[in-house]
This record gives sequence, C-alpha cells and structure tokens, in this order.
Amino acid sequence: MASAPRTLKQARATYSTNTELAWWVFMRISGLLLVFLVFGHLFFNNIQIDAATIDFAYVADRLSQPGVKIYDTFLLAFAMLHGVNGLRYSVEDYVRKPGRRFWTKTILFAVAGIVFVLGTMTLWAFSYDEMGAAVRALQ
Amino acid sequence: MYRGREGQWAFVLHRLTGVALALFLLLHVIDISLVMFGPDGPFNAFLAFYHQWPFRIGLIMVIAGVVYHAFNGLRIIVMDFTGWGVRFQRQLWYGVIGATAVVGVPVLIKILPEIFGAA
Repeated sequence: MASAPRTLKQARATYSTNTELAWWVFMRISGLLLVFLVFGHLFFNNIQIDAATIDFAYVADRLSQPGVKIYDTFLLAFAMLHGVNGLRYSVEDYVRKPGRRFWTKTILFAVAGIVFVLGTMTLWAFSYDEMGAAVRALQ
Repeated sequence: MYRGREGQWAFVLHRLTGVALALFLLLHVIDISLVMFGPDGPFNAFLAFYHQWPFRIGLIMVIAGVVYHAFNGLRIIVMDFTGWGVRFQRQLWYGVIGATAVVGVPVLIKILPEIFGAA
C-alpha cells in the first residue's frame, strides 16, 4: 500500500480484498501457536541441556527423529511467516518512500524465501540417521 | 516526540523484540542449516564460535525477548478479542512484565552458572 487513502474511491480500491485482515487474524493464531512451539523449543535445547554442549552429533540425533522433524517444520513455517510479516509491518511503517519501500520488501521476501528453503532442506533433504551413525562409529 | 504511558512502552518493546527475534530467526536457520555439510563440515567450528560467552549472553537476551514478546502477544490477543481487555491493558502489561520475570529469573539461574561457572 502506498499512502493512506484519502477518498472513498481510493479506500475501496485499496481495500478491495481482505488480505490485510487475513494477515491480522493469522498473526494472532500463529502467535498463540508459537507461544507453545517456541517455549517447547527453548525448553528442549536450552533448559533440559546446556546449550553450549550442542554439536553436530546432538543436532543430527534430533533431526533423525521424525517427531522432531515434524515439530521443527511447524516451528519453521509459523515462525517464518509470523516473523517476516512482522518485519513487513515495520517496513511499511518506517520506510517512507514508496520506491524504497517496494525494494526493501522485495529483498526481504527474497531473503526469507531462500532461508525458508534452506530450513526445509535442513529438516528433510538428508538422512542424519546415517550421518549420526557414522559419527558414533568414529567416536 | 509523543511520550505515551505503559501502552506505548508495550508497543515499542513488542516492535523491538519482534524485529530482533525475526532477524535472529533468519540467522538461526542459516547457522543450523550448516549441518547439511555433515560431521566433517563447518558446523562444529561454527557452534564452538557461538558458544563463547558474549554470544551466550546474547542468547539470554534472545530468550528474554521471546518471553516478553510471547506474553505481550497474549495481551494483544486478549485486548483484541475480549470486551474488557483494552480497559485493563495497563494492568495486563504489568502482568506481562511480572510473567516475564517469573519465567526469566529461573532461566537466568539455570543458564548463568553454565556460562560463568565453568570458566
């Protein structure tokens, strides 16, 4: 959206869809889910263990468990959508020039897309079971 | 500059923690993705780098940001979906601060000795 609409006609053109309302609702639903998903993630990896002991073997062992992979997939998807949409809100608020705002958002979405693919690959593209077994065989 | 009361501080903190957490999330996904290079890849060296104490203090601040953002997010949901939420938004915010401390202090007691006890 460029600047705030000034006439009814502009307002209708700007708000012809309910995309922003859908995102508003999504932020609340995903936020509620993320409270549990992120608290769980922090509990497993920062409270149950000393985070400084995390190494390849620990992560490979976790990512060889289907439950962890599914949990982390939900965490990745909801956190990325919630976080990137939140960043978008900030860009809409603070980047005042329309051209600069457009490019800032374009770069943000491009980076977010790459990171999301990277995260999904990390979770699903490799057999850490085999990698983990190989590490344990070496130890 | 407009200087609001608790409501504005709640908003400013929510924004700051939100932006910081989103940027941390991008970084975190990238650094964990290094496991894809396998046991002989750069993963262990990277994590050893992150396990130095300044980064662990940073991680505590990330956790604090998560806890505040989570509880204040619940406050926002209450304000949006109940009739009484906005009327008690100030009291709710003090509740958010209290809940953040109730969760945060035990976390500090657990993690700080891990950072400085072993040194």
